[in-house]
Amino acid sequence: MVNYATQTARKGNMKKKIIHTVENNERESTQLLMQEIWEAIDEGCNDFEIDACGQHNIGGSVWSKNGEDLNFYIKNPGQRTGSMGAKGTNIYIEGSAPADTGWLNSGAKIVVNGDSGDTTGHCAAAGKIYIAGHVGTRSGALMKKDPKFEAPELWVLKSTGSFSFEFMGGGIAVICGIDCEDMPSVLGDRACVGMVGGVVYVRGSVKNLSDDVFILDLDENDIEFLKDGLKTYLSEIKREDCYERLCDFSQWHKIVAKTYEERQKQHNISLKSFRINKWMKEIGGSIFSDLIQDDFKSYDLVQTGDSRLRKPNWKNYAYSAPCEYNCPIKIPTQKRFSLLRAGKIKEALQLVLEYSPFPASVCGQVCPNLCLVNCTRGNFDEPLDIKTLGTLSKDIKVPPVKITKDKKIAIIGTGVAGISAAWQLLKNGYEVEMFEQDNKIGGKLSQVIPEERLSKEILNTELERFKNTGVEIHTSTKVTSELFKKIEKDFDAVIIAIGGHNPVVLPFEGYERLIKGLNFLKDAKNGKKYDLGEKVVVIGAGNAAMDVITEVYKQGAKEVTAIDIKEPSAFDNEIKAAEKLGAKILWPCFTQKITDKGVYLKDGRFLEADSVIISIGDRPIFDFLNKKYLDENSKIKINEFMQTENEKVFAIGDAIHAGLFTNAIADGRHCAKNIIQLLNNEPLTPIKEKDVIPSKRIKSEYYECYNSTCDNEQNRCMSCGYCRDCGLCMQSCPQNAISRIEKPDGKFEYVSDPDKCIGCGVCAGLCPCGIWEIEWCK
Amino acid sequence: MTVNINSISKDDLPWIIEYDSEKCMLCGHCVAACSFDAIKVDVQKRKKVKAISNEEGFQIDEDQKAIPVIRQVIDAHNFCRGCGICTKVCPNGAIKVVRNKTEIFGTRYRAKTADSVKRGGRSNLNTEGRTLDKIKVGRISQMTDPSLDALRHTFDLRTTLGRVVSANKLHFEVVNGELQEKKNDKLPVNKSIYPIIISDMSIGALSPRMWEAIAIATAYLNEVKNIPIRMSTGEGGIPDKLLRSKYLKYMILQIASGHFGWNRIINSMPYMQEDPAGILIKIGQGAKPGDGGLLMAEKNVRLIQEIRGVPKADLLSPPNHQGLYSIEESVQKMFLSMNCAFKFKVPVAVKVAASSTSVSVYNNLLRDPYNIVGGFFIDGLQGGTGAAHEISLNHTGHPIVSKLRDCYLAAVHQGKQGQIPIFAGGGIGMNGNLAADAFKMICLGASGVFIGKLILQIAGCVGNDHGKCNSCNTGRCPIGITTQNPKLMQRLDVDRVAENIVNYICATDIELKKLLAPVGNSTLPVGRSDALVCVDKNVADRLDIQYVC
Repeated sequence: MVNYATQTARKGNMKKKIIHTVENNERESTQLLMQEIWEAIDEGCNDFEIDACGQHNIGGSVWSKNGEDLNFYIKNPGQRTGSMGAKGTNIYIEGSAPADTGWLNSGAKIVVNGDSGDTTGHCAAAGKIYIAGHVGTRSGALMKKDPKFEAPELWVLKSTGSFSFEFMGGGIAVICGIDCEDMPSVLGDRACVGMVGGVVYVRGSVKNLSDDVFILDLDENDIEFLKDGLKTYLSEIKREDCYERLCDFSQWHKIVAKTYEERQKQHNISLKSFRINKWMKEIGGSIFSDLIQDDFKSYDLVQTGDSRLRKPNWKNYAYSAPCEYNCPIKIPTQKRFSLLRAGKIKEALQLVLEYSPFPASVCGQVCPNLCLVNCTRGNFDEPLDIKTLGTLSKDIKVPPVKITKDKKIAIIGTGVAGISAAWQLLKNGYEVEMFEQDNKIGGKLSQVIPEERLSKEILNTELERFKNTGVEIHTSTKVTSELFKKIEKDFDAVIIAIGGHNPVVLPFEGYERLIKGLNFLKDAKNGKKYDLGEKVVVIGAGNAAMDVITEVYKQGAKEVTAIDIKEPSAFDNEIKAAEKLGAKILWPCFTQKITDKGVYLKDGRFLEADSVIISIGDRPIFDFLNKKYLDENSKIKINEFMQTENEKVFAIGDAIHAGLFTNAIADGRHCAKNIIQLLNNEPLTPIKEKDVIPSKRIKSEYYECYNSTCDNEQNRCMSCGYCRDCGLCMQSCPQNAISRIEKPDGKFEYVSDPDKCIGCGVCAGLCPCGIWEIEWCK
Repeated sequence: MTVNINSISKDDLPWIIEYDSEKCMLCGHCVAACSFDAIKVDVQKRKKVKAISNEEGFQIDEDQKAIPVIRQVIDAHNFCRGCGICTKVCPNGAIKVVRNKTEIFGTRYRAKTADSVKRGGRSNLNTEGRTLDKIKVGRISQMTDPSLDALRHTFDLRTTLGRVVSANKLHFEVVNGELQEKKNDKLPVNKSIYPIIISDMSIGALSPRMWEAIAIATAYLNEVKNIPIRMSTGEGGIPDKLLRSKYLKYMILQIASGHFGWNRIINSMPYMQEDPAGILIKIGQGAKPGDGGLLMAEKNVRLIQEIRGVPKADLLSPPNHQGLYSIEESVQKMFLSMNCAFKFKVPVAVKVAASSTSVSVYNNLLRDPYNIVGGFFIDGLQGGTGAAHEISLNHTGHPIVSKLRDCYLAAVHQGKQGQIPIFAGGGIGMNGNLAADAFKMICLGASGVFIGKLILQIAGCVGNDHGKCNSCNTGRCPIGITTQNPKLMQRLDVDRVAENIVNYICATDIELKKLLAPVGNSTLPVGRSDALVCVDKNVADRLDIQYVC
């Protein structure tokens, strides 16, 4: 108490109250002590000397009535001394104070002449707290500064416990670190966690500060503030002796909270920078860099160039149209209609002659027209009239042949196969000699096909066109083995195109009664009539049998039945034509025997017949050939190039397999190609067949439904797989990537610029002809 | 066009494209971006015949035109998976995908192909709500003891991978009054790691970019964010360059039944700068228990062929390790061999699909006298996969929660909890919140959790558990995550994916603390089931936690 006497004296005539809180071993409660103080204040007392015994909250929330400061001189206080202290309250504590000294200090001056406990100055928002020793944990936590008041101050001579200045929002703290030189941290562990404002001056070592603050050197203002402040502080706690030690400001730092803006900043290295400067540097590129190329560039979902998922290709004529694909000769009818659309009528009608010498006789007359049957337009309204288109080429002239090559080719047989081969070879400048045992050329076209199906005038026109090429033809010349040997020797290549002239007969009982269909037709063509009676059975129901039926009716039969062991192989329209005449076609029927009454079937049925004609196929007659050419079934041995045992002797047409006229024409054409390769000493190559274009790629949606009117068939043609040059792709490309390039030879092409194209496939989706094809980029 | 009633039609497909040709300007973006060939540009015919009778008589007028449109492809193989990329790229909002509620596609597909339905993703039959969502963190410090400040206080979230021996077997002795380590007494190795492990997804299942992005994120989290997370490599081969880099220390190498890529691992051993973080022996996975890995040929590109040492083919890992016939043999062969290979310096753990027999297995491992079993990973039926037969995904497996609890309590019963740390996985974080699931699993006894599918979702995976996308098996991942097609892979931004993963884990770290703080723990509450309450009585009883309502 003696220590405070001088201070009391300085206050002059103020009334002073001295309170002893323990009387007769009875301790006064905090509540009674408070009431005693309040009453004294009301009576005008300003100075209190309190010999406390751990009573709490002394000096807190009191106000003088007379405008003079209230002064408390306290010994042995309890917790929260000076808490909620008001401006004008001065508290002097002798010795140390327990926890919460100056809690919520709002203006009081509190001097502790020793250590102070935990949470000293907690939430202080004004006033000054001077501690002459250490303070406990969480001291200075949540200090704040209210702009209406002076900032709170907390001065500590030595150190703080851990978690000091947690969540501090404002005010000033000064931690002097006296006699703490050996401590790892004068602020304890984890100081300033959550600190958002205020400043902490600290002298000595600090460890493990929170990330919420910066630690800085002092500037001039800081030093000025401390020089002044320390004088007052040290004088309050009577430790002026420390002033010199504390004035070495190189030992001080200040801790300030990051501003709101500084807190928002990412101080970490960016992922990209980490990848490039740490990861790839350590590894030496990407971990996969020895396995794949990757530049780590990332792309949007829609891309151009090499990054596209897909790309379009203008695949004009990369696929066959169904008309071309289904034609054994592969006549590109889509091209013919395309020429017609372009007004190039002559070229359109000429084009077919590159493929066949018989567009009118075969395409226009006898062919079952697989082109037409499979025409895409047929799925929509009705197929194009390709038959008539063939007929239109009847009178087209060909330029005279010029023999330019010194090689000679012999062709045995002048049926369609032989003529087709000769036609191609002549066109290529080869000399061709033909041998025919009949007195006229044309094979079965001339000898067998009824005039109803093939007009003599049309056939003769086309045969004449062939003869006018300058080919040398030996008619009525049967090739014997001797002649064949000579031909083999004299010619550079030989084609055996003898057709099938040996009608096949099955050895059932009574077979000798059978009329051979081929002979019947040949005789009919020559004007010889048969007495067939009214009822006729035809064994066989192929295309040839249908011809037989037609002729049988013509020769007066009333009731014709065709039987077959399997489903009839004749084409539908042939069958329909026969049925229209009244013929019945039965299958499966297995013949048991033939009598003068008719045909007995194995299942017991009996077909009454005045005559029975057999038409189940014809085989070639190879009597002029050495056995080495033949296999054990007396068929000629050939390889995939129709080449026989002798590499320069080829066999084609019905001589090697029964087929349509178009098959024979195709054989002739292919064989000519093979011979040309052989004579040029080139390796023979197989015929490359294009795939047919998938029908779904042809967009029928663009077409109106209407049937053939003959004069504008070219506009009905859907130009399957063959660009019609409409320019829709160019117009509809969303990227404007497609352009049309005109070539010097008059041809054109559409190209898509990869730098603009996104691979969306609008071109492919809209192309009426299915030209554009989308494929995945590799 | 002919329509055959027996062929697949649009309304059989799992997703229906809704397209508005009025809004569409045919920019082609949707078709250009679709990786499944599920839409195409086509032409539609519009035809109207109008007739009217007026003073000129009966008039007929016909209006026909062909309109370009986007059309859905109807095919059993190239069909819309509902990924929604078309909608994303359409500038006019003209196209969207809608789930077909009839769900007939599987039937049609099986009837057409005589083949099982295969896909990626998770089980799509989540009909009963998740157990973990019925559990709440209910023991909050309220005046009983101080809670912590999640954001500003420090927490130690690390867990242990590796065998922990019981306290009385610690190898210390008192010599001359001082505590010293026993000489010649090797303690089993264990490592202090983050309680979340990025689960084993192979190179092959993932694109190289995706896999590397996860690896980079892992390194970043360790080196920049100070979060010691580990990544399990999966068994699809490991690039030499990674094996020989210091980053190997963050990698848990996996050996599964295919043993793919181990040749390169062994050949890299002399050049390793660091030990791997662990070895994980994969016996099975929760998404398709009893099934081995499946990598469809579409994804088996040259890179994969090289690092796995196989030709182009569908790669089917056997359903089991072919040399193993018992638990004891597994311990002897796999655990011992892997410990030997890395000189007993690397913890060796095992991963099994949760099963009725898991507790037996765990009990057996706990008896391991050699201390070479360093972890027990159990994978529940909500786990994801890159490719599986749908029947396995939807109809096989065992939920993880009760299985984890059973295993943990079995260890408690023997006083051995924590000695072989349990890591639980399979649908962890599938509701979007990893921290909540992880915390609950830890309280129920897990030393940590592992996550796979969630990582893909963080990276941008558009799939969900209601049939959306689920096409990881096709190699046509529209995001570039589960594809080997370089064009699709290029869609993935490695840095952003890595950043997303880093951010998500940092967020999870904060959220884990937000759960630890109110419970008052500053370390992992492994087995602190008193922190949990459950609103479902049956679940509460089964898991032995407090029922609340």
